[in-house]
Parts: sequence; structure tokens; C-alpha cells
Amino acid sequence: MRDNTLKYLLVLPAVLLVFATAIWPLVESLRLSFTVGRLNRPPSLQQYIGFENYTWAFLEEPAFWNSVWVTLAYTAVTVSLTTVLALGLALLLAPGGRLRSGVQTLLILPFAMSPALIGVSFRFMFNPEFGLFDAFFGFFMPVFAGVSWLADPVLAFAVCVMADIWGWIPFLTLVLIGGLSSIPRETIEAAQVDGAGGWRLFRDVTLPQLAPVLAVVVILKSIFSLKTFDQVFMLTNGGPGTATQTLSHYIYFNGLKYGQIGYAASVAWLMVIPMIFLTYAYAKFVFRKD
Amino acid sequence: MTGKQKKAFWNAVQTGLIVMATLIMLVPIAWIFMAAFKSHVDVYQLKLFFRPTLENFALVFREPYNLGEKLWNSTLVALATVVIAIPIATMAAYSFSRFRLRGETVMLVTILATQFVPAVVIILPFFVMFRDVGLLDTRLGLILVNLAIVMPFAIWMIKGFIDGIPLDTEEAAMVDGSSRLQVIRNIVLPMAAPGLLTAGIFCFILAWNEFLFALILTSKDAVTLPIGLALFKAEEGDLWNLLSAAGIIIMLPMFILALMIRKFFVQGMTMGAVR
Repeated sequence: MRDNTLKYLLVLPAVLLVFATAIWPLVESLRLSFTVGRLNRPPSLQQYIGFENYTWAFLEEPAFWNSVWVTLAYTAVTVSLTTVLALGLALLLAPGGRLRSGVQTLLILPFAMSPALIGVSFRFMFNPEFGLFDAFFGFFMPVFAGVSWLADPVLAFAVCVMADIWGWIPFLTLVLIGGLSSIPRETIEAAQVDGAGGWRLFRDVTLPQLAPVLAVVVILKSIFSLKTFDQVFMLTNGGPGTATQTLSHYIYFNGLKYGQIGYAASVAWLMVIPMIFLTYAYAKFVFRKD
Repeated sequence: MTGKQKKAFWNAVQTGLIVMATLIMLVPIAWIFMAAFKSHVDVYQLKLFFRPTLENFALVFREPYNLGEKLWNSTLVALATVVIAIPIATMAAYSFSRFRLRGETVMLVTILATQFVPAVVIILPFFVMFRDVGLLDTRLGLILVNLAIVMPFAIWMIKGFIDGIPLDTEEAAMVDGSSRLQVIRNIVLPMAAPGLLTAGIFCFILAWNEFLFALILTSKDAVTLPIGLALFKAEEGDLWNLLSAAGIIIMLPMFILALMIRKFFVQGMTMGAVR
């Protein structure tokens, strides 16, 4: 067989599979978002209703706006905290040596843990009667003694954030350690010869060279924060009330629990739009020229 | 302080911070490991010392929990997902790596982008379709949607590995009269085998930990391990000793697999954005 035919035949199954499992549902969701799309109605009653689902979300649903704000706040807090803490940890661990390499190896563990299980374990840790973290905070910060974390809107949000960053910092630290190790030693040594040390060395030499990797970390984490579902579902199930209801959770509830697939699809598509921009930004880093 | 003292002081501070971070990372995991061996009474107290028991691991496999079924479902679904995904991804990855295709960049970006589509968007149409064709609560249905998660990673990861295989041997074999398919089978596949295994393990972990699809699509027969966690509730609340035992069964195999491929974890997850 000629290479010219073969090369397309080789990619065909993969392209078809990606099309069927990702592109089709994306397009079909868009179509559903313009229909009544109620699970309990027969196909004949699923007529097109234009942008009604979208206007309904924007104008008639405070719960939609609530989940938008929860998601944005969640994303802002988790992205900034994970990035800063992961950078700090990466700087601490990058020099290597026995202790540091050992810890680097362990960093893979939280990321191999199912996010659903992370949610469960944090619910365990913050149990007001026998939770270890609950006891810890209660001991060192008496304000929190005897507090029922998951029953308080603000504290429940804080626990969701803690579970999230606990799961993500280790992995992003590994990414940043990789970035740090690819900074040429000569530039650092040259700066040290010039008398730069500590903070100035970090700000003027390390940070600019690390910028592309940091950008990748921020974009990647933003994407995953925006679509957070698993931990929140297991940890608070959106509660108390709707205090921790992220967009994914809101879509899940409206689509699958209340059977309003059409409405859920419209909210889902509102969520896809920022993803397109983030993906575009991410792809620029993947395809950048060396 | 002299320079030497200053340096020693800084080293101590750094070591302290590293130890603290490691503790924060390990304590929740260790706590689950401990709770899994605690008796029903001990788990509801903040006890560091207790009489360990294996009872929880026996209980989770019995009625009404039947964790064995979920374990079987998880294994089968994750394994089937990988067995379908890896050969298809390898073919595509080879082509992307060695040839110039029309629309190559568009295809690669699209494949990359599908990884970022929220799972909840993908699952809505699949739920409607599976309900109509009777694929709800089947392992087959779950395998199909899991491919959506796994394929982009598999293609990009394997492409990375094949990019790293030098062209010379392939070209030499072609000069000696081997066909392209013979070259792929006799030269590329053996050389890429460790990479394929790594990608397979990575995808297995993703499929194993997958939650949202299984939550929505399964109800009884095809329930996987992460969804099975919801079983351990009684009227008086969560059964933490059983939850922890189930947690270990979920995470321990993944810890072992992840440690096996830890050098490639970052590359796999970032799809070549970090080099």
C-alpha cells in the first residue's frame, strides 16, 4: 500500500472514535439546548424553542447565577492558591538530594487518587465529632472548635477548596519542578556571579524563565477548576443549600435529577465557551516553536 | 549571624517546611489506611492506637455491599477501554509522528481540545441515546464514553514516544525491502512497547477513577468502585470503617501503577505543553 493512502487510513479509526465520543455529543448538546428537551416527554413533544432555555437561565434562575459565582470564586481561589503553593513547594524540592527526591516520588500519590475518594476522605477529616482536621483546627484555632464545617456555607466552601488544592498541588509541583530543572544552570550561575541572590535571583532570573510553564499550570488548573464536579459531589453535594453548587453540579441536577436535558444543555454550552478560549491558549503552548 | 550559621538556619527552615508539606499530603491517606483497620467502635473516635482488624475488608465484599461486583466492573471497564484505545491511538500516533497529513494541526488541536470538554456536556446526549437503545447501566455503554476521556491522552502520549524513536532503523529496513506495515510491526512496535505500556497504565488510571459518567449511566449492574462508595451509608450516617476499606481497594492499585510510570505522569497529563 502506498504511504499516501496508508497515512490517512491509520488516523481514520482514531478520528472517527474521537468524533463519535466527543464531537458528536458536543454538537448534539448544542442542538438539545434549543429544544424543550424534557426526559419525561415523547420525542414528538421536543420541539425547538429557540433561545428560550438560555434566556430562562439568564433571567429567571437565580440558582444559575449562584452556580456561576460559586464556580468563578472556586476557580479564582483554587487556581491562585495551587499555583502559589505549588511554586513554593517546587522551589523547596527542586535542588534534589535524598529527602527531596523521596518527597518528589510521593507527590504522585494524591493525583492517582480518585477525586471522588478525595471528597469522601475530606468529609471524613472534617467530621465535627471524630475528624482529624476538624480536631486540628479546633485545637490551634479555638474559633473553629466544635464548628460543623460542612453545615456552614463559607466553611463548606473552604473545605471544598482545601480538598481541591490538596489533590492538585502535588501534581502541579511536579510540573513546576520539571520547568525549574530545564532552566539552564549557566544563567543562574552568571546571575550569582553578578551578585544576585535570594529574592532578586528568583524575580529576575528564575521567574521569567519559568513563565511559560507557569502559564501552562494556570491554564490547565483553570480548566479543571471550572469543570469541578467529583469532589464537590461527594463532599457537600452542593450544600449546604446551594453554597457549593458548581456549574457542573447545577447542570447535573437540572439535567439528570429534574429531567430538563434541554435546559441543562444550554447551561452546559455556556460553560463550553470559556473552555474554548482556555483551550486555544493552551494549544498555543503545545505548538509553540522551540 | 555569620554566613555559615545563616545557611544552616535556612536549611533547617527548608527541611521543616518540606516535612510539614509531606505530612499534610500523607496524613489524609494514612488516616484512611488506619480507619480501614479500625473496628466499628474505634473509627468513631480520634484514636491513634487501636486493635487492628481485617473485618472491614471481609464485610465490604458481603451482602448488601457486594464490592466484588463493583471491583469486577471497574476492572473490566478500565481494561476494555485501554485495550480498545491503545491500538487505535498507536496507529494514529504513528501517522501523526511520521507523515505530513492534510489538516494535521487541526486534527491534533481538536483531539487535544476534546480533553477539556466538561464531562457533563458529553454525558447529556449519551444519556438520552443510551436510554433509547438500552445501553444504560451496561458496561459496554460505560466503555464507550470512557473512550472519550482516554483517547486524547493516549494519542498525544504515544505520539510523544514515537517522536523519540530515531528514524534511521526504519529507513534502513525500508531500503532493505520491508513494507511500511512490516516496519511498524517489526521495528516501531517493539521499540515503542514501553511507551505503549506507560500510556496504557495512564489511561487505565483515568478510566478507573472516572466518576461522573458512571454516576449518571449506571444504577445497579454496571456500578463501578467510585460510585460504590455511596453504598456505605446507614441510617446513623456514613460507615467510615467500611468506606475506608473500600477506599484502600480503590486507591492502592492506582498508587502502585502511578509509581510505576511516575516519570511520564507529567508529560502524559500536560500533553507535551511542558517539556
